[in-house]
Amino acid sequence: MNISARELDSRLTDGEELSVIDVRREDQKNRWPLAGIDAESADLEDLDSRTFKRPTVLICQFGIITQRWLELRDLDDLYNLIGGAQAWISHREHRRDLSRYSRQMVLPEIGEEGQRKLLNAMVTIVGIGGLGCPASQYLAAAGIGKLRLVDGDVVDITNLHRQPLFSTENVGHSKSEAAAESLAQLNPDCNITSAKSFLCEDNCESLLSESDVVVDATDTVSARRLMDRFCAYHSIPLVYGGLYRFEGQVSVFHLNDGPSYSDLFPVTDSNSGSCSDEGVPGMLPGIIGSIQALEALKIILAIEPNLSGKLLLYDGLTHVVEQIQLKG
Amino acid sequence: MSMKITIRCFSHVRQALGKETVTLKLQDGTDTTEVERTIREMAGEALDGISFRIAVNRKYLSFPTELKDSDEIALIPPVQGG
Repeated sequence: MNISARELDSRLTDGEELSVIDVRREDQKNRWPLAGIDAESADLEDLDSRTFKRPTVLICQFGIITQRWLELRDLDDLYNLIGGAQAWISHREHRRDLSRYSRQMVLPEIGEEGQRKLLNAMVTIVGIGGLGCPASQYLAAAGIGKLRLVDGDVVDITNLHRQPLFSTENVGHSKSEAAAESLAQLNPDCNITSAKSFLCEDNCESLLSESDVVVDATDTVSARRLMDRFCAYHSIPLVYGGLYRFEGQVSVFHLNDGPSYSDLFPVTDSNSGSCSDEGVPGMLPGIIGSIQALEALKIILAIEPNLSGKLLLYDGLTHVVEQIQLKG
Repeated sequence: MSMKITIRCFSHVRQALGKETVTLKLQDGTDTTEVERTIREMAGEALDGISFRIAVNRKYLSFPTELKDSDEIALIPPVQGG
């Protein structure tokens, strides 16, 4: 007998006592977990010697192996899940409650289709400081499916005026871990991983790969150059942000073969000034990091125009925003 | 003949000159290299070791360009803070 994902969901929701047996390989189970089902694992070969006391649903990856297995046997109350694990995952994806995102889904540029794209997207944020805090907060709240937070630093008391994602009790704790904990509470839809490391040649492959977008929220030239080279090589859009006193800069690199950071600044002096040396009002990274998050969202949804090929300059004293066109 | 150009200063350049905008009267035929030299002279040591990019009329330049009367130049250093 066959059962659809929708019917299985409905019968489980109704509280019917159903057994579910996942007959897939370990790697398949790990890569495509069956959310919402408390499934037993078993090999299909071992099932011949078993008796089934209640209705039981067999799940393989695509519903083909279990269907063939059942066709060769005449067993009552044993079901094949049509379409297998893939059908279940797809069904769950479509019945997910999206009301949390309703105010952004109303926008024709986003809609339900766009929201599902965001929920399937992966964004890596390098640097969870002044820029990384607002960028990660708004991206988590927007429903980015996977957020990877990279920062080897710990929260310092002098960070708190511009990094309100952290609380006083986070002082001394890992920034990436404290942020992941806080963001998980903000939005459980968002799968957050944290790396307690600084980006370097040795770890950039593992920390940046598979990203749909990388957000550059660092404060070191070497990390910026490294991200720029990696994202150029792998054609990953990179959203750059930088601060100096009351001023901020934002641009998008490597989008559809667009310019890179090294096109914008072929030379960057190591003494160009950090927030601790030059000072910064806490709200400025809030503004610039939020613009970076908005650009990341637009890139995932292919909303135009964006800041590829342009440098946005924001002046927090006059509130003048202007854009400089980058030539190739 | 001379021409008047406006220079918009950002981040370190603004800090070094203490001004957001500078107006210069220059001889016809002056190019952006000459403007950079003038600005560095005005700033003295404050811009030593600081690089900046030059945009003319809100477009970046990759090489020195001759300026026209009323051109607006932006001097934009890289910034590091995050």
